[in-house]
Amino acid sequence: MARIDIPAGSAPCEIAPVAANGTLRRIVEFDRVSKTYLPGTRKEFTAIRDVTFHVEDKPDVGEFIGMLGPSGCGKSTVLRLIAGLAPHFPATSGTVLVDGVPAEGPGPDRGFVFQDYANFPNRTVLDNVAFGLECAHVPQKERLERAWEWLGKVGLNAKNDAYKFPYQLSGGMNQRVAIARTLILGPRIILMDEPFGALDPGTRQNMQDLLVALWKELEATVFFVTHDVGEAVFLADRLYIFSPSPGSIVQQMAITPPDRKSVEMQAVPAFQQSVREVRHLLDQAGRVSPTAPTPA
Amino acid sequence: MADLDSKTPGAARRRGWLGNWWQRVGTLRDVPTQLEGMLLSLACIVGVLVIWWIITVGDGDHRLVDAYTLPSPAATFASFPLLWERGLSLGALTSLSRVFGGFLMAAAIGVPLGLISGSYLRVGAFFKPVSIFGRNVPIAALIPLTLIWFGTADVQKVMFIFLAAVAFIHFDSSSAARAVPDRFLETAYTLGARRNWTKGLRLCVIIALAYSMVASLGWSLLQEHVRLAADVKSAGFWLRALLGFALGIGLWFPLLSHQVLRKVVVPMAMPDVVNSLRLLFGLAFGYIMLAEVINPKHGLGALIITSQRQGPREHIYLCLLIIALLAWGIDRFILMIQRQAFPYLKYGQD
Ligand SMILES: Nc1ncnc2c1ncn2[C@@H]1O[C@H](COP(=O)(O)OP(=O)(O)OP(=O)(O)O)[C@@H](O)[C@H]1O
Ligand SMILES: [Mg+2]
Repeated sequence: MARIDIPAGSAPCEIAPVAANGTLRRIVEFDRVSKTYLPGTRKEFTAIRDVTFHVEDKPDVGEFIGMLGPSGCGKSTVLRLIAGLAPHFPATSGTVLVDGVPAEGPGPDRGFVFQDYANFPNRTVLDNVAFGLECAHVPQKERLERAWEWLGKVGLNAKNDAYKFPYQLSGGMNQRVAIARTLILGPRIILMDEPFGALDPGTRQNMQDLLVALWKELEATVFFVTHDVGEAVFLADRLYIFSPSPGSIVQQMAITPPDRKSVEMQAVPAFQQSVREVRHLLDQAGRVSPTAPTPA
Repeated sequence: MADLDSKTPGAARRRGWLGNWWQRVGTLRDVPTQLEGMLLSLACIVGVLVIWWIITVGDGDHRLVDAYTLPSPAATFASFPLLWERGLSLGALTSLSRVFGGFLMAAAIGVPLGLISGSYLRVGAFFKPVSIFGRNVPIAALIPLTLIWFGTADVQKVMFIFLAAVAFIHFDSSSAARAVPDRFLETAYTLGARRNWTKGLRLCVIIALAYSMVASLGWSLLQEHVRLAADVKSAGFWLRALLGFALGIGLWFPLLSHQVLRKVVVPMAMPDVVNSLRLLFGLAFGYIMLAEVINPKHGLGALIITSQRQGPREHIYLCLLIIALLAWGIDRFILMIQRQAFPYLKYGQD
């Protein structure tokens, strides 16, 4: 069972415990998962130890899980274990279940958005977005139409940008392409590893708003890793806080999902209070300074 | 005083355009205009010609360098019509087709095998000794060997180029495939790229047919004293066809049967592969001279060696110039294709 801690004091942003409802299907479940590199050698290194949590697949709505923790604590490791990406996958011990069965190698049911977008440089924006459909043998006309549609959904001007190459786009636009390319496949699970980490604060807030809007219609479970406490509190329904390496989840909390734009949210006192509180928890869990400035 | 001058605002005007230009010559990475660049290159050519003219002007004992060692520029260029009559164009064409033949064969094997080696790393580990040996064997030593193996016909020259180039092409292609960042492979996997046997097989049967044709027909055409009509009836012809087909399948099926390779790794490695082919082709063009000089039979190398033995010696210089020009022209041509084929890259290298 997941450990649920309610932070002390009243919850200004309605931080409430998650109802443990055993009847729901579990979309992702970690049971005492550890990952040790080069076991039995002098270079042996344990990245995560006994990570245990589960996420339920609520009908019609997925959960948005924010993951916070000091650098090197194993957040990326957890995401890549779910995605099935080597060398983090497979785990050294414990079980990783995705939709009730042990996680396998990577597949289109688990989308991954990286910090550096990784758009294929030799493909136009449109062909990048259509890549997954192309792999699934969707006929050309249909897949290009759908890709075109998705360019609009992620806030790109299809007429202007569809035939550009990634090098002709800004960082924010590139990340929009990467998001469209992942979401067009309708994955049940979306893994995002510091997706907005390389963007300037303004662009970052726009992307946060975009993500909230898209996620509402997607009904997917999102795992979102970030170093920005404000971003995590704004986006997430639930926060996982990691201890320093070897990482494990020391705290889980529920958070009110966003009901307004990122810029407006920053000004709400209750929101600011939540951010302060989470930062304090992080500080207790690891070494993140409570006064550390956050861009968003 | 001059130092003080250069710090005052009006200094630039007072120095005059030559002074300004001279200052720009001394500025690091100051890019010249296209015209400027061309004029400078022209100046170099004129300079070489002038020096050449000065050391060969006059006659008999008055020359700095005697006519036997170095003919004058005028005499050299005047001998061009004679060189043309000696079959310059045919010679150039012969040399070129030999390089093309050997190089295409080397690329047809080296590129796919390299891409496989850079993607399936165990295959790469297996071929590593051959690759190291092939890249370190002294090229010139291959000439006597190829003479023993393939006789003195065209096929020897072609196989010499093939052997000289294939290991380098393999190595560069392998590096190009390996240099595609993991991130793109991971992205492709999470977007659903996977193995696709049927599509891979369909594509590579077509390619394998081409390999089969070259191995059967192409090989016959290269041989001296072999008549195609008779050869088609021989068992060797059909055995070569079969082997070529198997080779085509073996080289391309591993690449085309996986979407990650077909859609991501191969296209992303291609710019590096083509660039390496362009540079290696320049080298191969140099090597063909080696083969043609040692065993002269047609070709530019043969022209050079007979010019050295029987004269006119002017033709040696002309041939060298023509070879350099030809190689440069081909290089530009491939570079142009590269720019067309990979519009998402900015090519600057010469
Ligand atoms: N292939 C590997 N071999 C050995 N150690 C590794 C490997 N990959 C990751 N690690 C280690 O595992 C630990 C966890 O890495 P991970 O990338 O998951 O951290 P993270 O929480 O995502 O950090 P960051 O916030 O900086 O991205 C790190 O200390 C890292 O050095
Ligand atoms: Mg990370």
